[in-house]
Amino acid sequence: MNERRAVDRRTALRNYIKLYLILIRTSVRSRMQYRFNFAFGTLLAAIIQLSEFLMIAIVLAKFGAVRGWTMHEVGYLFAVMTLAKTLYRTFGNEVHNLERYLVEGELDQLLTKPLPILLSLLPRGFRIMFGEVIQGGIILAWSLGQMLHSGQVSWWAVPQTLFAIVTGGVVLFAIGMATATCGFWTTRISMLQNMTEDAAQTAARYPLTLYPGWMSGLLLTAIPVGLVGYVPALYILRGELGLWVFPVLAAASCLAVLLALRFWKFGISKYQSTGS
Amino acid sequence: MGTITSKTVPTVQAEREAAIEAVGLCKSFKTPVVAQGRFSGIRSLFSREHTTKEAVRDIGFTVEKGDFVGYIGPNGAGKSTTIKMLTGILHPSSGSVKLAGVDPHRDRLRCASRLGVVFGQRSQLWWDLPVKDSYDILAHMYGVEDRDKSKRLDEFAELLDLDEFWDTPVRKLSLGQRMRADIAAAMLHDPELLFLDEPTIGLDVNAKRNIRGFLKVLNEEFGKTILLTTHDMDDIEQLCRRVMVIGGGRLTYDGTVAGLRREIGLPTEIKVTYRAGYVLPRQGGDLIIAGDRQTGAHVQPNQESDRHAADSSFAMRIVSQTESTLTVEVNRQDVRTMDVLRELGQLGEIEDVEMREPDFEEIIRRAYG
Repeated sequence: MNERRAVDRRTALRNYIKLYLILIRTSVRSRMQYRFNFAFGTLLAAIIQLSEFLMIAIVLAKFGAVRGWTMHEVGYLFAVMTLAKTLYRTFGNEVHNLERYLVEGELDQLLTKPLPILLSLLPRGFRIMFGEVIQGGIILAWSLGQMLHSGQVSWWAVPQTLFAIVTGGVVLFAIGMATATCGFWTTRISMLQNMTEDAAQTAARYPLTLYPGWMSGLLLTAIPVGLVGYVPALYILRGELGLWVFPVLAAASCLAVLLALRFWKFGISKYQSTGS
Repeated sequence: MGTITSKTVPTVQAEREAAIEAVGLCKSFKTPVVAQGRFSGIRSLFSREHTTKEAVRDIGFTVEKGDFVGYIGPNGAGKSTTIKMLTGILHPSSGSVKLAGVDPHRDRLRCASRLGVVFGQRSQLWWDLPVKDSYDILAHMYGVEDRDKSKRLDEFAELLDLDEFWDTPVRKLSLGQRMRADIAAAMLHDPELLFLDEPTIGLDVNAKRNIRGFLKVLNEEFGKTILLTTHDMDDIEQLCRRVMVIGGGRLTYDGTVAGLRREIGLPTEIKVTYRAGYVLPRQGGDLIIAGDRQTGAHVQPNQESDRHAADSSFAMRIVSQTESTLTVEVNRQDVRTMDVLRELGQLGEIEDVEMREPDFEEIIRRAYG
């Protein structure tokens, strides 16, 4: 009996993965109906990202370093955050857009499908974010390249950084999902998102030592954006902490997603839909 | 032996399960009270004050397999809320739902795969893709084999004229085309049970006829159980065997269409113009009671006359009156028009008579209360 259930679950999982890919393909095809919009959006995103970094670069160039962090190190934090966020927004963007589904009652349709709600929801927002990937990639290559050159880090930093980007993306997704879940009670979530997502992500582009203790504590626990760039950078760039950072990051990101999923499931049962 | 019986019993029960079984369904929505005055935005964010709106109160019913049920009620009566609870979208505040024995909230995925749902106001198709692509995706979603998919789509295409817009992106379809495409989409996985929330809303006469024809075929030839909400009383009259009326969150009627007519009564308005005024009998109120005194005086050569002769007293309600006209309402189930005219003729010399039959809309309006 148990064996059969395991087999059933495996076929179900395989079907889900197949379906996920089909839905992503569908989403890309839908988006490609508006090619100009796609091309223009990509270009615009790249320009915005670049100008954001230029601002930071100017500040850094002027003051040299932030609380003992060099320009390259801060650039690294910035790039890791950008790439982690890009990862989250590529695969999990629809969680960020949940407000639209709540306000317009569009979640109804998804709830009538024989799929876990996230499986119908997430592929809808799948998009390829060339602009962000290129921008983040360039800054990362530049800052890591400089540090490799100066001998501050070894080549090990590259796989370690990629690992941190993945766990960081997962953490940001968990924060996004937990924030969105609040929408099942409040319907509107954009203000909350400003705090837990936008502001928090911006804050974590700098070393957390910049902030008062309570705030950096907050950014490591309640809204753990510090886990995205800051904590891995402590080890990868500065040799603080220890190799144990990586299993901790993996565990923390898994825990964050599991907690967010729990909350999400509870939230769904409070879904109020809209009138018609 | 014991094991065999315990195994067979559930299957027998499953055969007998009602298509829909709703028990004591309630749903209340909490809306936070928006504070007024200074810092109202922040205050309402932290305020725990809220108003509770009971959208649905204690609704219970059973729908048997193969039934065609119309679910009607005025706007805001709780129709959509009920449908959303039945389909597993909303969790009821209390009460329970079973669809063919399965709880759509505990077991949403299993239920959803046996269920077709159409919301008239929203499409489940992929907006930017050709219609046929949506069917491909849905077939994957519900695990429909290619062979079954093309067989069913061929049938649907014929019944719903899908061919004319097969390759058109959904966003370019007319409302009627979109609705046809949506209904076909809801039936692609061959569900036993179909929910339609206002499927004919905003459609022209042809599109409505087309869709009604299709639903009739689904119900009569394929034995599908269908529950629909509508504001179009022709939908009810032409399709449904059973009507449920909801008002203020409660079921106010549940029975046959004919029964609803009977219960509400069919008041026919008769407006009589008198040549030289009329004299109302002194009976008080707005009723004119026609007494037994006419018994036997108007025997008609028709089968029904005996019934009327046996109890020929009836009441007419005065709707409005002017100096020369009198408008009364009678229930034509109880009394024949000739009797009414004879009675009215005794009040004065009749010059002209106008009659207005109530339509089904009117009955519903009364049923809504």
